Amino acid sequence: MRAGTAVQAAKRRSASKASTVYLFALPATLLFVVFIAYPILWVAGESLYTGTADGRAVFAGFANYTTILSDPTFWIVVRNMVLWGIITIPVQMLIGGLLAYFIERHTHALRGFFRTMFFLPVVTSVSVISLVWVQIYAPYYGIAQEYLKHVGIVMMTSPIGDPKTAIYALIVVNIWQWTGFSMLMYIAGIANLPSEVLDAARIDGARGWRLGVHVIVPMLSPATKSLLLLGVIGTLQTFPIVHLMTGGGPNRASEVFGTFIFKQSFVLGDTASGAALSVIVLVIALVLSLVQIALLGARLSPAGKDEP
Amino acid sequence: MRKMLFLATTILAAALYSAFANAEQKEVTVWSWFVQSTMEKSIAAFEKAHPDIKVKYTYYNYSPEYITALKAAAASGSLPDVIGLQPGSLTQQYRENLEAVNERAAKQWGDKWAEKIFPVNRKQMLMGNPKGDENYYIIPQESQVLCIWYNRKIFEKLNLSPPKTYADLKAAAKALTDGGYIPMFQGAADGWQNENVFLMLANQFSPGIVDKAQAGESPWTAPELVAAMKAWKGLFDDGIFQQGALGAHAYPTGAQLFAQGKVGMMALGSWWMQESKFPPPLSEFVQNMEGFDFFYMPPVKDGNSASPPVGGIDIGYGLTKNGGKNPEAWTFLAEFTNGVGLQEALNDLNDLPAFDGNAPKGDITDHVKDMSARFMADLPKAENQRFASPAVAEALDNALAGVAAGSTEPEAALAAVQAASEKALAAK
Repeated sequence: MRAGTAVQAAKRRSASKASTVYLFALPATLLFVVFIAYPILWVAGESLYTGTADGRAVFAGFANYTTILSDPTFWIVVRNMVLWGIITIPVQMLIGGLLAYFIERHTHALRGFFRTMFFLPVVTSVSVISLVWVQIYAPYYGIAQEYLKHVGIVMMTSPIGDPKTAIYALIVVNIWQWTGFSMLMYIAGIANLPSEVLDAARIDGARGWRLGVHVIVPMLSPATKSLLLLGVIGTLQTFPIVHLMTGGGPNRASEVFGTFIFKQSFVLGDTASGAALSVIVLVIALVLSLVQIALLGARLSPAGKDEP
Repeated sequence: MRKMLFLATTILAAALYSAFANAEQKEVTVWSWFVQSTMEKSIAAFEKAHPDIKVKYTYYNYSPEYITALKAAAASGSLPDVIGLQPGSLTQQYRENLEAVNERAAKQWGDKWAEKIFPVNRKQMLMGNPKGDENYYIIPQESQVLCIWYNRKIFEKLNLSPPKTYADLKAAAKALTDGGYIPMFQGAADGWQNENVFLMLANQFSPGIVDKAQAGESPWTAPELVAAMKAWKGLFDDGIFQQGALGAHAYPTGAQLFAQGKVGMMALGSWWMQESKFPPPLSEFVQNMEGFDFFYMPPVKDGNSASPPVGGIDIGYGLTKNGGKNPEAWTFLAEFTNGVGLQEALNDLNDLPAFDGNAPKGDITDHVKDMSARFMADLPKAENQRFASPAVAEALDNALAGVAAGSTEPEAALAAVQAASEKALAAK
C-alpha cells in the first residue's frame, strides 16, 4: 500500500516536471510556429496557386515550379550562386584566418585597433558600402581611376556594368565586407586554443608554417565548419549589395536568388512564382545544411569545446 | 494626503482632456515615397486649413521598402487610408484594395473634373484596367515632362549651344569630354532612366509607337523600334554617354555630379527644378536653377524631328478600401492633389501639376518661371511615358541593358520584349 502510494507520488512528480518542462518550451515553440513554421507553410501553399486577371487565385499544382525551372534566368541565378559560394567562402576564410593569426600573434599594443579596423566593414551600412563601391568602380571619374591614372591605366568600363564581370565585381565587395567576420571567428578560436598543446608542439620542434598547418589549422576546424555553414546560408540570403549596386543587371547577369524573388514578387507582382522560388531556395538551404552537418559533424562553436 | 489627492486629480483631468482632444481630432494615415520635406509643408498647409484633421504620414524609400510594405499591408488588410501610387502596374497591383474615385471626384470638382487633368495623365489613370472598367483608382498629383537638361554655364564656357542635330550632340559630347567634363551622364544601371531615353528615341521615329506596341497594335520588332534601339546603342558607342554608364546610377551619383557642375548633360525631367529648393548649401549651378536649361533629344537620324515631349503622371494617390470608410481621407486626397496641399508642393518646385490651372507661387526667379511655363506648354501634347505591364517594362529594361552591353542584338532584344508583351496581353 505504502509502496503503491510512493510510486503514484513519483509518477505525479514526474508528470508535473514534464509539464513544467513543456511550459518552459512553450514561448519558444509559439514564436517558432508563428514566425517561422506558419510563414513557411503559407508560402508553400501560395506556390501552388496562380492569380487570374480578375484577382482570383486558382490551384495550379506544380505549374509555378515548372515555369521557374524552365526560365533561363533561374539557371543564371544558380550559376551566380555557385560562383558566389565557391569564391567568397574560401577566400573570406583564408584572408580572415591570416588576419586573425597575425593580429593575435604579432600585434600587441595595436591589437584592438586592428581588430576594430578589419571588423568595421561588417557593421557598416550596406547602403553606404554599395554607394562607395559604385564610386570606386566608376571609370573616368571614379575613385579607383584616380589612383590608376598615375600608373597609366584607364578604366574603359565599370566592372559592374559589364555582364561578363558584374558578378565577380560584386563578389569582391562581399569579400571586403565579410572578411572581418571570418577574422573574428578565428580570433575567438585562436584565443581558446589550449596553450599546453601549442607548447608541447613547440617542444616537439613544430615551428612557423608547420605549427600553423599541422596544429593550429586542425584545432580551428570548428570555427572553419561554422564559417562554412554560415557562408552557404549567407550566400543563399544575398540581396542588399546586389539590389543596391546592380539591381541584378545588366540584363540579369548578376541576378541572385534574393533579387530574383524580390522582382518576381514585388516588382512584377507575381507572388505565386516568387513563393515557388522561395520554396526552392528553402529546400536547397535545407539540403546543403544537412549535408554539411552529416559530413562535418555538429561541433560548430568557434572554441570547439564539447558540452560538459 | 491632500497634496497627493490634488496631484492625482490633476493627472486624471489632464488625461481626460488629452483623450477628449484626441477624440475630437480625426486622423488620416498616408504612406508614400514622396519627398519628406515637401510632404511636411503640404501636410502643414492642409492641417491649417482643416484643423480638425490630423495627418499621419509615413515615408518610405520606394524600393524595396515601399513596395514591400504595401504588399504586406495589402495581404493583412492593414493598408493606410491614402497610398502613393504610380499609374499602370503599381496601381493595378492594388486595384482590388482601392476605391474607385469617380463619384467622389465628381462631387468635389464637378462632373467634368477629368477634363481638368492633362490628357496624357488621364490616359495613364486608366492604364491596365480590365476591359470595360472605366473607373479611376488613382488621382494624379504631379506631372512630369522628360527632357535633356544641360549645364548652360559649361556650355557657354565651351562655346556650345543646345544641340539641334545628332552631329551637334556628338560634337558637344566631344567638346565636353575634351574639356574634362562628363558629356551626358546616364545612370544605365537604373532601368527607369534607360526607359526614359528609349521613349524619347522611339517617339522620335514614330510618335505613339510604344503605346501601340504595349496595346498589341504594333509589334515590338517594328522597324521604327529597331531603329530606336540602334540609336540607343549609338549613344554609348558615339561617346554621348559617359564611359561605364552601365554601372552608374542616376541617383545619387549622377544627380550630385550634375549639380556640382561636373556633367554637361543629363536625361531627366521637369522634377530637376526641385533641386533649387533643397536645403542649402546649393551649388552656383543649382541656385535658382541658374546653371541649367533643357532641350529635347535632337533628331538622331536624318528626316526625324526632335523628340516630342514624353511624360505623364509623376506621382498620384489612391484611396484604399480602409480610407473609403474614413470621410476625412477623401478630404485630404482632394486637397493634396488639387488644393492647398498641391500648392505647397508646386511652390517647392517639386514638379508640374496634374490638374490644369495650378502654378507655382512665391519666391521663384524669372528663369525658373520661364522653364516651368515651357514645360506646362508642352505637357498637353506629351506622349505617354508609362507601362501598363511591369513584365513588359522589365523585359524592355533587360533588352536595353543587353543591347548597350553588346551582348544582344537590337532585333533579338526586341523579340524578347514582344514575347513578354504577348504573354502579358494574353493574361489580361
